[in-house]
Amino acid sequence: MGINEILSVSQLSVELQKKTILSDTNLTLCSGEILGLVGPSGCGKTTLLNTIAGFNVVTTGTLNISNDNSMAGDDVLTITASNNIAPEHRNIGMIFQDYALFPHLTVEKNIWFGIDKLPKSEQKSRTNKLVKLLKLTNLETRYPHQLSGGQQQRVAIARALAPRPKLLLLDEPFSNIDARLRNELMLEMRQLLKQLKISAIFVTHNKDEVFTFADKIAVMHEGKILQTGSPAAVCQSPNGWQVADFLQLGSWLPVQVENEQFQSALGSFSSIITSTVNENVVSNKVNQQTQQLLLKPQAIEYYEDENTKPNVRVDNIAVTEQGFHYSLSSIESNSVLAFEQLSFYSDILLNLGQLITIKIKPHNYQVFAL
Amino acid sequence: MLLASLGSSSDLFSHLWQTVLPDYIANTLILGVLVVLLSLVFGALSATFVVHTNVLGKKYLRWLLLLPLAMPAYLVAYLYTDIFDYAGPIQRALRAWFGWQSPSDYWFFDIRTLPGAAIVISLVLFPYVYMLTRTAFEQQDQNLLRAGRLLGLSAKQSFFNVALPLARPAIAVSASLVLMETLADFATVNYFAVNTLTTAIYDTWLGYGDLAAANALASILMLMILFVVVAEQRARAGQGHQSNRPNQYIEVIKLSFAQQILVSGFCWLLVFAGFVIPFVLLILMAVENSNMTQFMALLTPSLNSIEVSFYAASIATGLALLFGLYRRLSADKWRILPLNLAGFGYAVPGTVLAMVLLSTFGPLDGYINDIANYFELSSPGLVLSGTIFAVVFAFVVRFAAIANGTIASGIEQIPRSVDFAPASLGAGLGKMLRKIHMPILRPSIWVAWLLVFIESMKELPAVLLLRPFNFETLSIQIYQLISDEILEQGALGAILIVLLGLVPIIWLNRSKELT
Repeated sequence: MGINEILSVSQLSVELQKKTILSDTNLTLCSGEILGLVGPSGCGKTTLLNTIAGFNVVTTGTLNISNDNSMAGDDVLTITASNNIAPEHRNIGMIFQDYALFPHLTVEKNIWFGIDKLPKSEQKSRTNKLVKLLKLTNLETRYPHQLSGGQQQRVAIARALAPRPKLLLLDEPFSNIDARLRNELMLEMRQLLKQLKISAIFVTHNKDEVFTFADKIAVMHEGKILQTGSPAAVCQSPNGWQVADFLQLGSWLPVQVENEQFQSALGSFSSIITSTVNENVVSNKVNQQTQQLLLKPQAIEYYEDENTKPNVRVDNIAVTEQGFHYSLSSIESNSVLAFEQLSFYSDILLNLGQLITIKIKPHNYQVFAL
Repeated sequence: MLLASLGSSSDLFSHLWQTVLPDYIANTLILGVLVVLLSLVFGALSATFVVHTNVLGKKYLRWLLLLPLAMPAYLVAYLYTDIFDYAGPIQRALRAWFGWQSPSDYWFFDIRTLPGAAIVISLVLFPYVYMLTRTAFEQQDQNLLRAGRLLGLSAKQSFFNVALPLARPAIAVSASLVLMETLADFATVNYFAVNTLTTAIYDTWLGYGDLAAANALASILMLMILFVVVAEQRARAGQGHQSNRPNQYIEVIKLSFAQQILVSGFCWLLVFAGFVIPFVLLILMAVENSNMTQFMALLTPSLNSIEVSFYAASIATGLALLFGLYRRLSADKWRILPLNLAGFGYAVPGTVLAMVLLSTFGPLDGYINDIANYFELSSPGLVLSGTIFAVVFAFVVRFAAIANGTIASGIEQIPRSVDFAPASLGAGLGKMLRKIHMPILRPSIWVAWLLVFIESMKELPAVLLLRPFNFETLSIQIYQLISDEILEQGALGAILIVLLGLVPIIWLNRSKELT
């Protein structure tokens, strides 16, 4: 365990109603770090969050939570199946997807709820600071139903921050906010957490949120964490097909590797440039099995030459702020190498059903087995 | 009860079986079928007219059609017998008008018969069908009906092919509720001298003193009820078509003016027959006959009713709260059991419940006295069966389902995350219940208490059989006055019972308006 770690999850498994939801999960979080937990619906993100908070019981494995920014200090809670610690004793704050504001209490009383054992003057001073910080001035005596969605979220944040937790958990905190406000709130929230030096884990199934909000991301699939790292590192080198597919890092081109050549519906091209090869990425050795080449839009080149035989058909056109987004499929549709929905961006206006030629720019190819 | 009936050889039961019992069972079944059919005609039709047509006075009929629920059937039975009987004002007027001299000169519907009882009971029970059907219609996703229209159905066809089949489970649930209430009725059929299983149980037990035969009859009745409960549960399982987009605009079937007159006439007739006429008759009776002496005579029974109802409401609500919160907050896999088991008492008719409790509490009292004697203490007497304990216990068993339902629906309205939020703010279970759940549930607790209190005030058969000596309640007093054909002396008390019955209806209507 690192000296700067505030949370470490080691070989954690959780069973709910005799069903394994999390298995062999490992994770660490450093002080002040914001971790984005992403993955498709039902992959176990919320279960992991609830287990850290104490709402689910650990089946096997260990959770260590530090209350003094260091796993080396004395103030470390160790939670195992035989040593459960109630949520209220973990000093972890949580912001719920629906905010869970107490409907019968005013904004001010919601914020006081977690600090009502402190002296009145301290309660007042903390509340005043949070009210100012979260722009809730003049809303203190209102009830939750009298607030807008954005204001309710701010109250939930203020309430969670009032007891000054070292770790804050956020369960899809932006899902109820409309798209225009969401980005603004995410940036505000990030600034606030950094300013207060609070570590946070937030759950989302929206990849754009995680790239805006997190210092580090963890991609989950079927109860396991597949990859952890900075957003840039994970984007650059996804360690598996599921990671690349969930984060929509590109489209998939079926290929076969033969004599250091990729055979594909777009023709054959050299595979020797491939440099990132790890356990989950298939190497460029001879392999007759069909694999999937991750193709980012910027690696595709439109080739405008009347003498060259077209190799793809335009199936769909969407207008974006950068130009046109085309969805392409191979002309040859019976082969095992045929493909659909290959993403390609261009300023050139093409027609629906038009047959065109594209080529793959040489780059660091990443090939995955499905 | 079943064991007691099987374990005893009873000559009376075999005699009953060879003589009148088949008729009693047939009467019970015919009454049940007639009441269900009439209630379906009254309730489902009126709900259809109110929701799906442009019936005149729709805004008022919507809630007025609920009012007959407040009227105890035995009161309506008495009041209608009073006006429709041979000596009543209607037959007297007809005789005077047409110059008839004796009953052989003309035919007039005899209300003190099985069909008469069926009509009277249907007039006060049809609002169950009306209420559940109306709610089902109003909560249906209107886009389903709109889809029907776009696929070529007329508004009428859309109603018959989409709305009505979707409402079928709710109609079935309401029909089973009506059937259960009918099978449990004692006072109305007894007043009309229609022999059913409930009256047979009462007579066999108290008239002939044969508890084993009464137990056997009660077992037959409970078997019928069991079929109804199973049918109801099956119907409830099919109630999965409610929309999550309520309060949508419902397109109505446009009736011609003549049709509107006919349809609203039907609805208003139900309101008048089920509530307005009996209530006005009661008021007239009270105005004409009430005096201070009668008022004072009602005071003690009223206070007794309030006392037992207060205890029953407080205990039932407390238990409902305990079981409801246990189900919600416990991780135990059997957590749903206490709440569900406590709800089954609603299906047991008051007469049967009273018998079961007396058969249980009687021997228990014996044991308690034996133990007291063993320790050379003074005998406490019949502490369970001879005090208001038995009455309160019966009320709690009978009406726990009402309290459970109200509290459980209140708890369901609290988002799950609100259970977790206090712990994330450092609060333990005690603080969470004290500061969050109890204050949020306060309206539900109050409503549950009020509903059980009012039902307990109205309950008759259980209290009739279980009350201690010289313990009169308002409902018993009224029932006895009815039996002696002198309701005039208790009209004020009857009005009080009806007014109390209106409280949950107003609340029900309000809560339906809010959803």
